[in-house]
Amino acid sequence: MSTRREFLLTAGATSMALSGLSACGGSSASGSTVIPPTPLPAVPILVIINIDGGYDWLNVMPPISGANATTYHDLRPSLKIDPATVLDLGNGVGLNSDLTGLGELSQQGRVAWLPGIGMANFSLSHFTAIDLWGQGAATPADSGWLGRFADSAFNAAGDVLRGITVTSDLPIMLKGGNRSFVSITNSSGYVFPAKLTGNAIGAPYDATLLENGLASAVNAASPYPGYLLASVPTKLFLDAQNQFGTNGQLPARTPTVLYPGDAGYPEKRLDGGNLSASLSNQLKLIAQMIASGLPGQVYFARLGGWDTHSNQATDHPNLQRVLGGAIRAFYDDLKSISTTSGMAQDRLMVLGYSEFGRRVKENNGGTDHGTAGLAFCLGNAVKGGLYGSYPDLTSLDANGNMRYSATADFRSLYATVLDRWLGQATTTTNTLLGSNYPRFGFL
Amino acid sequence: MALTDFTTPISNWDAQAVLHFARRAGFGITPEHATTLAAQDPVTVINGWVNGSVAAAPNPSDGASLFSTVLANQADVVTQGQVTANTTVPGAVSVPAVPAPHGFLTEGTDAWRNSLSAGQAQCAWRMQYAPFSFKERMALFWHNLFATGHHKVNNIALLLKQYELFRSNGLGSFGDLLVAVSKDPAMALWLDSVSNNAAGTSAPNENYAREAMELYSLGVDNGYNQTDITQLARALSGWSFVIPNASWVVNPASPNQFTAADGIFTVYQGQTLPANTRGWYGGTPANLSRMHPTGATNDITTINLQWQSGLNLVTAAAGQAPGENALRSILTGRATECSEFLAKRLLLHFVTPAFSTQDYQDLASVIRSAGFDLAAVLKTLLASTYFFMPDKRYALVEGPVSWIVRAARLLGPDLNTADTQNPKGFPAWRVITNPYFDQAGMKLLDPSGPNGWHEHSAWLNSNTMRYRTKLAAALALAETYNTGAETLTLFPTSVDAWFPVAPTTALAVHDRLVALLQPAAIPTAVRDAWLAALWPSGFTWDATAKTKARELAFLLLCSPFAQLY
Repeated sequence: MSTRREFLLTAGATSMALSGLSACGGSSASGSTVIPPTPLPAVPILVIINIDGGYDWLNVMPPISGANATTYHDLRPSLKIDPATVLDLGNGVGLNSDLTGLGELSQQGRVAWLPGIGMANFSLSHFTAIDLWGQGAATPADSGWLGRFADSAFNAAGDVLRGITVTSDLPIMLKGGNRSFVSITNSSGYVFPAKLTGNAIGAPYDATLLENGLASAVNAASPYPGYLLASVPTKLFLDAQNQFGTNGQLPARTPTVLYPGDAGYPEKRLDGGNLSASLSNQLKLIAQMIASGLPGQVYFARLGGWDTHSNQATDHPNLQRVLGGAIRAFYDDLKSISTTSGMAQDRLMVLGYSEFGRRVKENNGGTDHGTAGLAFCLGNAVKGGLYGSYPDLTSLDANGNMRYSATADFRSLYATVLDRWLGQATTTTNTLLGSNYPRFGFL
Repeated sequence: MALTDFTTPISNWDAQAVLHFARRAGFGITPEHATTLAAQDPVTVINGWVNGSVAAAPNPSDGASLFSTVLANQADVVTQGQVTANTTVPGAVSVPAVPAPHGFLTEGTDAWRNSLSAGQAQCAWRMQYAPFSFKERMALFWHNLFATGHHKVNNIALLLKQYELFRSNGLGSFGDLLVAVSKDPAMALWLDSVSNNAAGTSAPNENYAREAMELYSLGVDNGYNQTDITQLARALSGWSFVIPNASWVVNPASPNQFTAADGIFTVYQGQTLPANTRGWYGGTPANLSRMHPTGATNDITTINLQWQSGLNLVTAAAGQAPGENALRSILTGRATECSEFLAKRLLLHFVTPAFSTQDYQDLASVIRSAGFDLAAVLKTLLASTYFFMPDKRYALVEGPVSWIVRAARLLGPDLNTADTQNPKGFPAWRVITNPYFDQAGMKLLDPSGPNGWHEHSAWLNSNTMRYRTKLAAALALAETYNTGAETLTLFPTSVDAWFPVAPTTALAVHDRLVALLQPAAIPTAVRDAWLAALWPSGFTWDATAKTKARELAFLLLCSPFAQLY
């Protein structure tokens, strides 16, 4: 008997989405009730959260009844999540209470969950899987789906702050053919020329001369194939620093809520220590950027540490508290930000994804690399519920990994976001992704 | 290209060829030293460089003896405040200053300080001043290949031990290096070999076995499958280490805190703990828990790898650890894949990103012919016609650590001079490395993942370029920094030292700085625009001109041309 749970895929299934949502609990014991989605915002903001390392989402959204639950309990003798501790999402699955704050939003209908999402030929290599997720195509390429979006949608002569990663690297997802996202990791000192340990360069040096001098070097002609590799990002930085705040400084902003890692934040690590502020700091910076009126449309942040080959019983709950808590704090924080295009929270959608899930059978306190993933989209305009296809744990592949269902192609997620959230024409979306993928119904 | 392009040594050896060689196979040399070496036989110079008998600096006093003495006693003198325990190191409180030698205060009895920036600083300092650069260049190459990170290992002493392994074994046989890395304590913690000791019915932890093939010897999905991964994981089960009691270091400021200054490779298979040691986790069990699966050692006597079924682990060659022959069989059973993997990595790091299939297959055949002897391979590659072809010069983006170390070497004083200055003329690497190496794109000793850094095009984005300009400012514009205890010049440099002959024209300033920094050719229009802005009328070599010379050095370093090497 198959225990695969097929959920909802197409736009026409909105009513099914809502029925799925009601199965998530509707009115909960805590009093949260489903709140209808708000209209799509005129000027949307997308915040991508890369859950890096391949997160064990089976322990985030464990099966709690039926044959899947039986198999899960058999294969996870020490790491299984007690069904009594989870939030029942319906359809035989629950949500781990360590995902701080997201259970409540899920009950309110603000979160679309996409269990089982992925691709037909999953790679168990982190790095190949990251590239595939970034490219948005199953064949190797040098650009990512959001980089190609930037190529297509961003003004070639401007828009340098429309796509921003707050990581110091530039993931392939954000690389375009001729446009890429700008990487900005803090809110001050974003000027050229600047000292290493401080801000602007002053006397006896001539800052204007130096800026003009570098500008002439990045607009030159050079026979070396590598010249553009250096000149393009330098030019991007030079242009961006001229549009970033005042003298490279955004207005200071104090968050209106506590984030994980802040003194006084109620959730702690299992050992009682403060949670990591890694994701909090990135999301606070994004909130500051939004509040300052930067034209950012797509932001990218990352939380690593999910490659839980060992010590999962401790690390995984701590990581979930950071992930859920930081997203929830950010969501709440944005309610206080008023922008020229409306209240920031109404403009927000968070997209969380990871390169793969993990092996069903636990292994000496940890889990090995696996297949199918769990992505999610969160926001006021999202039609919450379960979408895609929860894998059948009673029918694993030869390596003990979850099988892929064609109803949960990761590019269907991208297509949905490009069409409905980023406002691309259907044909443009299909061109950016190389094919016409079915859309999910959560927007 | 043809195989002979790899096996035929360079015929047009001149100063420019020497400079190209020294940028790639070291961290640069001065134009004067290049002229000296250009007058010698190229193969003799290159073999000597690889062997560690041809030095990267002409001054005989910059020999190994001075280097070792300064490293041990004086190198981190510019951050003297940190020899007390008033640092951000966990648990640190006021304890007496540590007398020299202290070697950046992270090894031996100082392991409890566990300072990432100190470890990074030691590596950078050695790259800058080691008299024989090639060992440091190869160590950097291997650190990228066998990338192991502090954020999980959380032990700088063990990471520096691994880095030293790259220096000591980085030019021997690749098989020996692969085995040595597999037995390394930092690697054992990094990729969970310490957890590959499963009790009961648990499966072996396959983290290390997967990466040993995917990242360290074959490349992703290149000649192995999931079954091979689990089989290799079985073969390596129990590979861990123990800590000698003498290397169990107590934090004097917080006696409840301990750390390991060293670890000894040990296969856990139920034997009694060696005398005067403890398990890696610091416990003192009577026995080291048995290899997977508990109580049935005969279950792992035979491992079936796809390329060499039925490897017998019991009758492995004398001197090998149980399971070691499985690891070594990668080089024999998958010699083509392994040699091609190595060839691609060597080409990308040392020669060009634009190599053809024929190119890497040719180099792979050189590697196989040399029996995976790395010194022989590197001597052949770095002396080859292929390496010196015009389209290989400035074909690569230089990594940020190499980039800043090379600039520091060429604009800063040499070891002998720096050591005689007061205060010492060494860069304040402990201030510079962390966090700025991270923002510049290469957080030394702490890669984000076991795949290391992708090199070439991946070195550059808007943020890493931003931080290169900040590093360039620190170096060229003589930035100072107050640590709270003292004011440091981050990179002590002297404009007068850059110009042994006083320039009489703006163009002479430019040409001398280009000769030192060795960027890809600056277009004439760019050069002229710079010089016209800096010296709109007249030229006098005075204090103002020396400030402008710093500005020009800054522009050169920031420019796209100086990111290529």
